[in-house]
Amino acid sequence: MALHLIMSASYNALLAILLYILDKKTAFSKTPYKLKQFIIGVLFGLMAIFATTTIGGFDIGDGTIMNVRDAAPLCAGLIFGAPAGIIAGLIGGIYRFVAVFFGLAGIYTQIACSVSTILAGFIAAVLRKHMFDNKKPTWLYGMGIGMVTEVLHMLMIFFTNMDDAVNAFEFVKICTLPMVIGNGLAVGIAVFIVSLISREKSGSKKDQKQISQTFQSWLLICIVIAFVATSTFSSVLQTGMSEVQTNKTIEMSLSDVYQDILDESNSNLLKKTESIKEEYTGGAELQILASKYNVIEVNIIDENGYICDSNVEEYIGYDMTSGEQSNEFVTALLEGSESQYIQDYRPTSYDDITFRKYGAIKLSDGGFIQVGYDSTQFRADIDKYVKTVSKNRHVGNAGFVAICDENFNLVTYRNDFEGTELQKIGITFDPETIKEGEIFESVVYDKEYLCSYRFVEGYYIVGAMPKYEAMFMKEVSVYVNTFMEILIFAALFVLIYFLIKRIIIDNLRKINKGLAEITNGNLNVTVDVRSNEEFASLSDDINQTVGTLKRYIKEAAARIDKELEFAKQIQYSSLPTVFPKSNSFRLYAEMITAKEVGGDFYDFYMLNDGAIAFLVADVSGKGIPAAMFMMRAKTVIRDLAERGVEPDEIFTIANGKLCENNDAGMFVTAWLGILDTKTGLLKFANAGHNPPLFKRNGENFEYMKARSGMLLAGMEGIKYRKNELQLTPGDTLYLYTDGVTEATDNNTELYGEQRLLDFVNSLEKTEPESLCKLIKEDVDKFVGTAPQFDDITMLALDFDSIIGDESISVVPDSDSRIAVGAFADSLSAKLETQPKIANKINIVFDEIYANIVNYSKATLAAISYSIENGKLRISFTDNGIPYNPLKAAEPDTTLSAEEREIGGLGIFMVKKMTESMEYEYTDDKNVLTLVISLS
Amino acid sequence: MTIEKKISNESATLIVSGRLDTQTAPELENELDSVLSGLKELTFDFANLEYVSSAGLRVILKAQKAMNAQGSMKLTSVNDSIMEVFDITGFLDILTIE
Repeated sequence: MALHLIMSASYNALLAILLYILDKKTAFSKTPYKLKQFIIGVLFGLMAIFATTTIGGFDIGDGTIMNVRDAAPLCAGLIFGAPAGIIAGLIGGIYRFVAVFFGLAGIYTQIACSVSTILAGFIAAVLRKHMFDNKKPTWLYGMGIGMVTEVLHMLMIFFTNMDDAVNAFEFVKICTLPMVIGNGLAVGIAVFIVSLISREKSGSKKDQKQISQTFQSWLLICIVIAFVATSTFSSVLQTGMSEVQTNKTIEMSLSDVYQDILDESNSNLLKKTESIKEEYTGGAELQILASKYNVIEVNIIDENGYICDSNVEEYIGYDMTSGEQSNEFVTALLEGSESQYIQDYRPTSYDDITFRKYGAIKLSDGGFIQVGYDSTQFRADIDKYVKTVSKNRHVGNAGFVAICDENFNLVTYRNDFEGTELQKIGITFDPETIKEGEIFESVVYDKEYLCSYRFVEGYYIVGAMPKYEAMFMKEVSVYVNTFMEILIFAALFVLIYFLIKRIIIDNLRKINKGLAEITNGNLNVTVDVRSNEEFASLSDDINQTVGTLKRYIKEAAARIDKELEFAKQIQYSSLPTVFPKSNSFRLYAEMITAKEVGGDFYDFYMLNDGAIAFLVADVSGKGIPAAMFMMRAKTVIRDLAERGVEPDEIFTIANGKLCENNDAGMFVTAWLGILDTKTGLLKFANAGHNPPLFKRNGENFEYMKARSGMLLAGMEGIKYRKNELQLTPGDTLYLYTDGVTEATDNNTELYGEQRLLDFVNSLEKTEPESLCKLIKEDVDKFVGTAPQFDDITMLALDFDSIIGDESISVVPDSDSRIAVGAFADSLSAKLETQPKIANKINIVFDEIYANIVNYSKATLAAISYSIENGKLRISFTDNGIPYNPLKAAEPDTTLSAEEREIGGLGIFMVKKMTESMEYEYTDDKNVLTLVISLS
Repeated sequence: MTIEKKISNESATLIVSGRLDTQTAPELENELDSVLSGLKELTFDFANLEYVSSAGLRVILKAQKAMNAQGSMKLTSVNDSIMEVFDITGFLDILTIE
């Protein structure tokens, strides 16, 4: 049978595996959900039908077919989905109902079987949906559900056949175990194997248990404990109660018979005593009376309780009060007011071995007459009656009453076994060990009986009840109780679980979902679970916290914005905005920062030898780090440039320095040029920066094709190429950062290098300032309303002229002063970027030339100047009388006005204004050379 | 160089513009000679004076000496370049500059 059971159970698992594989591995998975559910439902419905047949199920031997039909809808519903379960249940159930009419299935369990199969489908559907979150359960739950469903099935069989309770109960008793196990196994195996295939470890186990799982486990444990406790308790109680009930039933029959016999025996003796009293005249006729009425004793007792006369001579003179048994008569009749008294059959006071039954009636003279006889005598009188009393008496439904005498010979029994010994029918008991009313077991004709006895008037009345009858109610109670408890506890389990899930777990999930969104950065999510006060307050707390957080973030953002703005200002203010004024070049630069702090910068500064260094650079990234890196790069480059280092060398050294401690991995692109304003020679280096636009005077702009070097701070040990370009007056150079070429419009189109080139070539005038402003305007026009993402930085330089060596020769008369003045002015103009240079040049020219004109008597003079290494050298040559102004006495400038000498101040002032003066007299000429340091 | 004179009773203001150099200094010297006698207060307004050479200094010193004897003299609105010249030559100590 076990083999059959397992085979039947495995059909479902096979179908489940087949469908599962189909669904996961083949095109079946693409079938729409509803159709798929329908197909699965129908297939499992067919499986349920198959289980109903003799092949799918199995005969337990008497034509009753055991089956695992209910497992099919359960498998469909639990493993594949609620609709499939319901469809399979309906198909299986309806078939089971209809099959009866074609003789394919039994009518006895028709309703119970079909309803339970349909129910199985719904149970599976509801459980999957509300308890297992539309996932398949673990195999243990599957097995449990299969078993509980089958318990329901069994209970329904019993209840639908209540009019035939005994048979229905027998049927249920036989079917319960195999069918409950069979269905449980069928569902459990199917779920287990499908889980194995899907490689899911039973359900949705994660590292941490979900509340629902922990709760399920504990609830299950509690429910099982409660179930075991109540079942055990009710079973014990039922057993006890059924014992009491059995006792009572037997006892009732026994005491009826007992009373009847006692009454009959009493009235028999009283009748005899009455007759003897009637006939007693006070003479010596007691012997005759005793034999006439067939009694052993007839005693006359006087008013003092002494036997005054008896048919047994030795009794005469006996004091009735001397024995307990005999004293009862004295107490009742002489001391009390009874007129007659009867005693049951018992040992006499006079002699313990002798059993007697006595009756007595009061006499008119104050004494009483007592009659006694023994069992043989009264049995002759009442045996007949005893037979009628017990003959048709039943104990319970199938029990009986048997009566035997003191020697255990049957007086009466159902089939007139009179005379035979009691033990012949299987009942034996020893009155010494088994007390009256106590239950003992006997086997009567192979049937177990529960027995009990009463002893009365020399009869043993034995009541017997078949054990199965005694136990039937108990078993029914225990079965039904247990079944009901299983169902109730299962329902309770599901209900409590469902409630907890609804009230707590679902709400927790809702809150968690909200929190997950919040932690992902969406602070605008509000958690709103209001199903009960606790969750409402939790929701409020969360919302409040998020609100506070939002406020803090906003405040922090505002603070950071302010600080960034500050940083931007610092960065901005570090850029030079006063542009050098020079005849030889014009320079203009501008940086338009984006909203954020960026890393763009430009820089320019005059170097010692009249050269100007200028650069445009772009630090990678944005924000404070970029700004700080920018300051560093700017300082390093400027420091090197001011020490007179060449551009390529500046980059080589700066790259090394910037690579140090560059943990942030920042880098900077830069284009650095150093223009010798005297010669127009531009030396430059490019570290990965956008190629500048360059325009020769009168030609178009072109991108400078010179190969770029590696960007700065990118890699150590880079050597940068040296580039040189000879500028001629009218040449224009335009440097920019990618903020210009990578400006994007609303369609994310780039401004681009071509557009920039076309635009600058369309311009008529390319003055540095207007060039920069026009390009910015054009970029703005292109960008439109799109936000500016990057800093826009540009620098334009226009080379105008070269300061060369100049000289003038004059005849030193007063008229020549004007020409010399103009010569001095032209020099001042060339050096207009130098502070206070004009004043110095004026003083030098004025004082020295005045001396030549006024005192040298020269006929020819020449003045020349040159600029070298940041120094202006001016030479005055004349052919006048030799005069070394350096030897002239210095005036005392500390004297008061009155003490001062007029004169000598001119040379003194010149000395003060110059770095050095040299005088020599060669070839009959005075040559005075002055050196003025340029900054 | 141009010179504008404002004379009232015993005080005079000379507004000197342009360059006060070797060439133009004699011109200022002549002007001073004509106004100095009996003067109690002399003011030079150098707001528009660009440059002073040693010859100019000579004239200014001469005027200061004269005014020390008969009254007071002051200079107003002196530009930076000229101040430097005054500084180098120690004239700051002997002049009254406002």
